[in-house]
Amino acid sequence: MPESGAQHNVTPLEFLRLSNRQFSLALTQHTLRDFLSESLAEALRITGGLRAFIARIEQETGELIVVETAGSGWTRKNRKLRLEPHHETQRGITGFVAITGEPYRSDDVKADPHHLNLFEDAQSEMAVPFFDSEGRVRGVVNIDSDRLAAFDDLHVAQVTALAEAMGVALAFDEFRCRERLLVDIGLDLAAITEIDALAQRVVNVTSKALQCEGCSVFLYEESTQTLRLRASRGALARQISEVSYRPGQGLTGTVFETGETIRLEDPRSDPRWAGLFPEFTPAESSSFLAVPVVGRDRMLGVVRVSRPRSRTAWFRARFTESDERMLTTIAGQFGTAVENIGTFNRSVRSERMAAWGELSAKSAHMIGNRTFAIKGDLNELKFVLANCTREISEDTTLSQEQVETCLASVLELTDSIERGIFRLEEILREFRDFVMATQLKPVRGDLNKTVRETVRETFPRRTTLTLKEEYCATPLMVLFDPVKLKRALSELIENAVSFMQGEDGTLQVLVRMVPAGEESAREHLLPMRSYACVSIADSGPGVPEEMKTQIFNPFFSSRVKGMGLGLSIVKGIVDAHHGVIRETGEPGHGARFIIYLPTESAAETPTK
Amino acid sequence: MSRILVVDDEDEVRSAICRRLSRDGHEVVSAENADAGEACLADTEAPFDVVITDMSMEDGESGVRMLKAALQRSVFTEVIVLTAYGNVKNAVECMKLGAYDYVEKNIPDVDVYELLMLKIERALEQHRLTMRTAH
Repeated sequence: MPESGAQHNVTPLEFLRLSNRQFSLALTQHTLRDFLSESLAEALRITGGLRAFIARIEQETGELIVVETAGSGWTRKNRKLRLEPHHETQRGITGFVAITGEPYRSDDVKADPHHLNLFEDAQSEMAVPFFDSEGRVRGVVNIDSDRLAAFDDLHVAQVTALAEAMGVALAFDEFRCRERLLVDIGLDLAAITEIDALAQRVVNVTSKALQCEGCSVFLYEESTQTLRLRASRGALARQISEVSYRPGQGLTGTVFETGETIRLEDPRSDPRWAGLFPEFTPAESSSFLAVPVVGRDRMLGVVRVSRPRSRTAWFRARFTESDERMLTTIAGQFGTAVENIGTFNRSVRSERMAAWGELSAKSAHMIGNRTFAIKGDLNELKFVLANCTREISEDTTLSQEQVETCLASVLELTDSIERGIFRLEEILREFRDFVMATQLKPVRGDLNKTVRETVRETFPRRTTLTLKEEYCATPLMVLFDPVKLKRALSELIENAVSFMQGEDGTLQVLVRMVPAGEESAREHLLPMRSYACVSIADSGPGVPEEMKTQIFNPFFSSRVKGMGLGLSIVKGIVDAHHGVIRETGEPGHGARFIIYLPTESAAETPTK
Repeated sequence: MSRILVVDDEDEVRSAICRRLSRDGHEVVSAENADAGEACLADTEAPFDVVITDMSMEDGESGVRMLKAALQRSVFTEVIVLTAYGNVKNAVECMKLGAYDYVEKNIPDVDVYELLMLKIERALEQHRLTMRTAH
């Protein structure tokens, strides 16, 4: 017959001191392990138990894992103990406590149905849960003894107090880990200059900090007007840049459009759920949390995390408020970093453009002068040839016919040279337009009038094409440079016409006023204000999806002819007006260029 | 026959213009910059009928300086300014200052020399008219 009865190894005053110390250590400890190890040893000492362990709940699986042991009888093997609380015969008293969240005492384990026989010499046992700040059970402290009824209510109360300190220490440690991660990611994000690397870093840190299997970063892409996946952990990791949402589409699109966080435990039951590109199969998906990535004055994207449905029904893998705060902070840092990269790239780009502009202005001048001189030589050559013809045919052994044949071939050559020079001059003109696109002389005028004039001057007179024009009923007063804007509009019209050659196409020109906040401007994420809008649409082949991001880049051309500066000149002119240009046509059904010019004088007034 | 001064800092340009003018029988003097051009203006007994000057030589304003100097020498001299494409702002300024006309050097699809000759003919016409009215 084993010994029985509870023994008390500390006086109430000693325990009070101990528990005070443990609570204060919980908030000052530097290593959680040392703290837990010491706490467990104290729990074992004051209760006079034989051995003790702490099991923590693993967030992703809901399993109980032994993390700390004390007392006798521990081997390398049983130290690696894992308990499955949902499995009635495998969970033991520890698992039972994890599920109920209540302390439990067993005076005679051999007669206890919850007991799992791990140690032959165990006679009585007690287990106490500890909680996180959300009130969820995060682990269990278990103590056993080789005596019957070795523990009483006072022991349970004392260990509960120590376990509470463990819960505090754990929460504090998690808090510190998150803080450290945030500092780290802050430093990282400032150092990374490439957006995809940045997005990947966010995914890594977030999935670590929030212990989630699924994490995806979406960024808004202006050219396609979609939220595109830039980095992911989970099922979507192989589909980076293939997956995209439209603003407003699904939960992800909704977060982007409203700028509000969505936190759900069962996303499928939400009416906004589209189930287009989940990280888990619908059957698996459970907790969902998505926060917007916000820039200085616009939405940049969405970061979302998800956990699969817990294999253990008792354990809720839901995201907490503190998870939400963590993710919002990460998304905030990410947003700043993305904007910084944008600013950096823009300044590099504008510096490059400036250097490039200077170079081309200078070389255009030099080349222009040489071309002019060559044209003079050509002019002279033609004159000399014409004069010679007469003389040669009067004084030669060649026949008139031979002379003329010879002359004809020379003239053919001079014509070819002349065409070459004219072509060269067209290229020079393109260069100079490109350089001077941003040098505006804005005046206040009616946009209707300028567009109408440009259409009249540019649209071919004899053509099978149909022209449809629609203007704003009232004068549309805007501050703009009519010469430059005409240049931009005529480029667009000429492009449209050339892409419809030999077809019975239609060119549609539309000028209208877009009041502040109108849907069409919001779709393009323009700042809230009113715009004068010119749309030029054709019924040609349109711009293929894969080219849409590149058409405004200098030297981009789908045709052999030309330098490919045309649309970059147009964009340069529109940009200089503080306007925005978009290509919104549907590939295969024609191109549609829309220019938005701010109607209130955001464009700088000319300086004399 | 008329007396024409050609001012341009590019040798090839200058000689091409001079050659074309000589072909039509004009008496041509040339200078390689505004300073040399002004010296030419001062050098001759009778003022030039026409002065053709490049807009930007030593600096962007050298054409304007040349124009002013030519008109100061004689109000009856007709000045034609050569500009690079797109430098219309300067050209218009020259017109305001009293230039007869301006010619863009690089106009695609146009034989600028013939255009220049046409403008010179007209300038000379104008010159003859004003001279007649003046005397």
